[in-house]
Amino acid sequence: MNSETLNTLDSYSKNKYKYGFVTEIDSEKPKKGLDEDTIRFISLKKNEPDWMLEWRLKAFSKWKKMKEPKWANLNFPEIDYQDIYYYSAPKGFDKKPKDLSEVDPKLIETYNKLGIPLEEQKVLAGVAVDVVFDSVSVATTYKGELEKLGIIFCSIGEAIQKHPDLIKKYLGSVIPAGDHSFSALNSAVFTDGSFVYIPEGVKCPMELSTYFRINAENTGQFERTLIIADKGSYVSYLEGCTAPKRDDNQLHAANVELIAFEDAEIKYSTVQNWYPGDEDGIGGIYNFVTKRGLCAGKNSKISWTQVETGSAITWKYPSCILKGDNSIGEFYSVAITNNFQQADTGTKMTHIGKNTKSKIISKGISLGKSQNTYRGEVSFLRKADKARNYTQCDSLLVGNQCGAHTVPYIDSKNNTAVIEHEASTSKINEDQLYYCRQRGLSHEEAVSLIVNGFCKQVLQELPMEFAVEAQKLVSISLEGSVG
Amino acid sequence: MFLEIKDLSVKIENKNILKRLNLNINKGEVHAIMGPNGSGKSTLANVLAGKEDYEILNGRINFKDNDLFDLNIEERAQEGMFLAFQYPVEIPGVNITPFLHSAINSKRKRMNEEEIDNLSFAKLLKSKANDLGINIDMLKRSVNTGFSGGEKKRYEILQMSILNPDLAILDETDSGLDIDALKIVTDGVNKLKTNDNSFLIITHYQKLLNYIKPDYVHVMVNGSIVKSGGSEIAAEIEKDGFQKFQ
Amino acid sequence: MNIQDNYLKNKKNIFFSENKDIQSHREKLINIFENDRFDKKNNESLKNINLKNFIDFKYKYLIPEEKSVINNNEKNSYSIVSINGQCSSYKDDKIEITKILDEDYNDFSKNDIIENNDHFVNLNSLFLNSGFKIVIKKNNNIKIKISNIITDDDLTIFQKNNYICEEGSSLNLIEEYENRNNSTSNILNVIKLEKNSKLNHFLIQDNSPNHNLIITTHSSCKNDSTYTQKVYNFSEGYVRNFHYSELIEANSEADLQGIFFLKDNNTSNNKTFVKHLAEDCKSNQVYKGILNDRSKATYFSNTHVDQVAQRTEGYQLSKGVLLSDNASYFSKPELKIYADDVKCSHGSTIGPIDENAIFYLRSRGMSKIAATKILISSFINEELSSIDNEQMSEIINKKLVRYLSKVK
Repeated sequence: MNSETLNTLDSYSKNKYKYGFVTEIDSEKPKKGLDEDTIRFISLKKNEPDWMLEWRLKAFSKWKKMKEPKWANLNFPEIDYQDIYYYSAPKGFDKKPKDLSEVDPKLIETYNKLGIPLEEQKVLAGVAVDVVFDSVSVATTYKGELEKLGIIFCSIGEAIQKHPDLIKKYLGSVIPAGDHSFSALNSAVFTDGSFVYIPEGVKCPMELSTYFRINAENTGQFERTLIIADKGSYVSYLEGCTAPKRDDNQLHAANVELIAFEDAEIKYSTVQNWYPGDEDGIGGIYNFVTKRGLCAGKNSKISWTQVETGSAITWKYPSCILKGDNSIGEFYSVAITNNFQQADTGTKMTHIGKNTKSKIISKGISLGKSQNTYRGEVSFLRKADKARNYTQCDSLLVGNQCGAHTVPYIDSKNNTAVIEHEASTSKINEDQLYYCRQRGLSHEEAVSLIVNGFCKQVLQELPMEFAVEAQKLVSISLEGSVG
Repeated sequence: MFLEIKDLSVKIENKNILKRLNLNINKGEVHAIMGPNGSGKSTLANVLAGKEDYEILNGRINFKDNDLFDLNIEERAQEGMFLAFQYPVEIPGVNITPFLHSAINSKRKRMNEEEIDNLSFAKLLKSKANDLGINIDMLKRSVNTGFSGGEKKRYEILQMSILNPDLAILDETDSGLDIDALKIVTDGVNKLKTNDNSFLIITHYQKLLNYIKPDYVHVMVNGSIVKSGGSEIAAEIEKDGFQKFQ
Repeated sequence: MNIQDNYLKNKKNIFFSENKDIQSHREKLINIFENDRFDKKNNESLKNINLKNFIDFKYKYLIPEEKSVINNNEKNSYSIVSINGQCSSYKDDKIEITKILDEDYNDFSKNDIIENNDHFVNLNSLFLNSGFKIVIKKNNNIKIKISNIITDDDLTIFQKNNYICEEGSSLNLIEEYENRNNSTSNILNVIKLEKNSKLNHFLIQDNSPNHNLIITTHSSCKNDSTYTQKVYNFSEGYVRNFHYSELIEANSEADLQGIFFLKDNNTSNNKTFVKHLAEDCKSNQVYKGILNDRSKATYFSNTHVDQVAQRTEGYQLSKGVLLSDNASYFSKPELKIYADDVKCSHGSTIGPIDENAIFYLRSRGMSKIAATKILISSFINEELSSIDNEQMSEIINKKLVRYLSKVK
């Protein structure tokens, strides 16, 4: 490798995180650590009914008996669950503010800095936003307009109060609390998150969006999201995340459950940009996320798109259970790791119904000293007649100190189902770099352009407003410059 | 002097390719270099463009009062050097519009000119594509991806006409073209030709020179220029081949 | 009987039992068995296996009465009959065969492989009761055919073979496994290729339903050497083919290929694992399987590219055809890459015989069964046509015809 390439790589590795500031705001926390009292405290703070507390305690007793899943290609010190705050709320949030005038101006300022203005007139046209700051939802925009269509879009805390029937019926129905230790943990201590219900036949006219921010120190964030798309409905949901720069690792263990009934479609997009740690691998978020969608009805469809650039550790496998006949599951992923980041991400497509289809497109880019793993499972059960899967995973290595790994699990128990899997790994193409530079682009621009081209199949799946942002984020993850 | 190559010797992987090569090109001139396969023609084109695989053993190159070896690949391009590649590489997922738009603006930035905005650029690209008989649909595809040989060459000329270089190097642009495509490509070149820019055309066959009239023809054999003169040399080669120069 | 009891009871019949170091090593292995909960989910060597057969087995071994035969009728060509895993000693100017028991212990342990995760390799080390070493001397070009014979019912063979191809040598090795009796063979081959040597290794497996074959190879390649392995599994009994290859010096190559044909209740587990530990090496891993009736198969493939292994080319392909509703196939093609200048890829497909192709052939007047058979043959055509040994090609074709005759 020539010296210029090395210089460019070096400047990439020193990539600066522009969301790393801390908001000075008083917060209210229980004592550190996890026991039944912590859970009772959270439940009390949230003013929850008894059945919810029971549900949490049951999950907690399961968690106590479980060990962390070990399959991932990740290396990190053991998590001390007693050294974490499980709840943190900006002071004065005992009651959620009715409108923005009641919100602490410091909070509004924080989101302005993050490029997420909360005043509705400033919000990107056609995007409704729910904002979660540490453990509580601070604002939900466009609520009124959505209510007219019968759409429920609120924090999960509010849904527990106002829509207990839906919560009782569906919470934990796709990801049982006892699925694995992180889902049990989340079920016990989840603090806030979003709830969406789209009634039968309604096509949600705007993107629904939640923005997650971890601010307080030593605090874990455990949000819970539940989206239900009733028969024939459609919703597109976006999720973004950032956190301040801190030297300690912070734990984020979210659970997201999606349910699509007959002819319904859910499109779920994530741009994950949690603080990744510095160039020496100090600090950063541990991102252990469980996302699972159930295509319950015939002809239903769930599509996951993710752009993962942040976090010190990413452990995440957005999955689809294709139960309804003719249902469709999709997974589009870009994962970029730099410096000492580690990502082990992919999907699980479980084909149960007849004629079910799934598609997996995964693009991994490794830089610096990072390790990037695609892990995915596709299985066809006995009755999945004529099921189809197509998987393509490509990895790009930039620099010779990183690793790129592909670990697919392919299981077929049906002789009419067809599965196709392709994967490739290579370094960035020197001829492409030469060609771009001969046209006058700098080395950095050329790398960014080629990497964006490499990711295009995935980026084009994002909603328009998001795609542009994601492209920039991809470039920033590669560049040394600040935005 | 616009371009001056003096005593240039170059090797790659322990093999000497160019041997004390000399060549001068003035503003407004069209030069053709002809030579058999393996004579070092493409190496010369790549050394001019700044490709990094080569080792310069000896000599210097001046381009528009710059020592060319002080400039890296993109700086040479921004100074107005353009290489139409013999085998343009495919870049999947990268669309021509943002690609060329960034390219033209990096050049303008270096020249302290104002950057061109999205809309004006899109118009410029469309009109140039029209001139070259390039279908607008082709502009929606990724750079060179899934193109036929002829389409790729036309695409190179389109880029050249947008970037409007001071020195255009055409590396075997005629190879793989049928007669119609050759005509479109050479028409494009002739349209671009002014008194302020220069062309260096590298070719194996004389055919191309029926469409683009060179002011000078050089014969390159075994890493050096063995004979220079006017277009009569091309005719000589057409008749007798390269044998007698070797 | 459990493993520990089996071991203690039969200790005197097991090779190297008197050696203290080996004894303590074996005690460690017993501990592993005692403490392992045989977690099928996280252990690739256990998937689809009826554990009971292998953990609670009855150990039985007979020293063969007959001496094994070594023929050298043709020039540079040897034919060996190994009986109950044993082979007589032999020596000429081209090859040397020694019994494993005559091996120096130090030499033997140097080649020992401890696999914490592979219980079958550990069982082999624990109960070792047979095996031999073959050295191909410098710059010789040799052909060897080995037929493996087991004399009695209920025998449990734990065999370890060492092959050494010295510098510049070339070996064509054909191994036949055609056992008709109720027995189990657990074979570990350790193969070393010195500089510029070449080994073409063919394994033809055609055992009856009550014979279990567990075969593991570890090959390592030095500069400019090439190891090629082709496995043809027509067995009606359980077969496990696990093959590990290490490219330890530059410009070496490993090519691991296999085809398996399964029917009835049969199971086959397959694994290929190539480690690129040096620059400019190439590897290829291709397995194809045809599964009928209630048969089950797994195939794990793994390409591991070390940080120093620049300019690696690694290729993997796994293809499965399911002929029946009740057959199942699991594949896990893995890439682990720590060097940047690499070209690595893998592809994997599982599905039925192409219905459009069947329709096309039927529209030309062919019966459905005939069409299916033709398409199965074409699925593995590449592998069959690449066999350059006429005699072998004939043997394999016969076995294929036999398999196809059962396809309905």
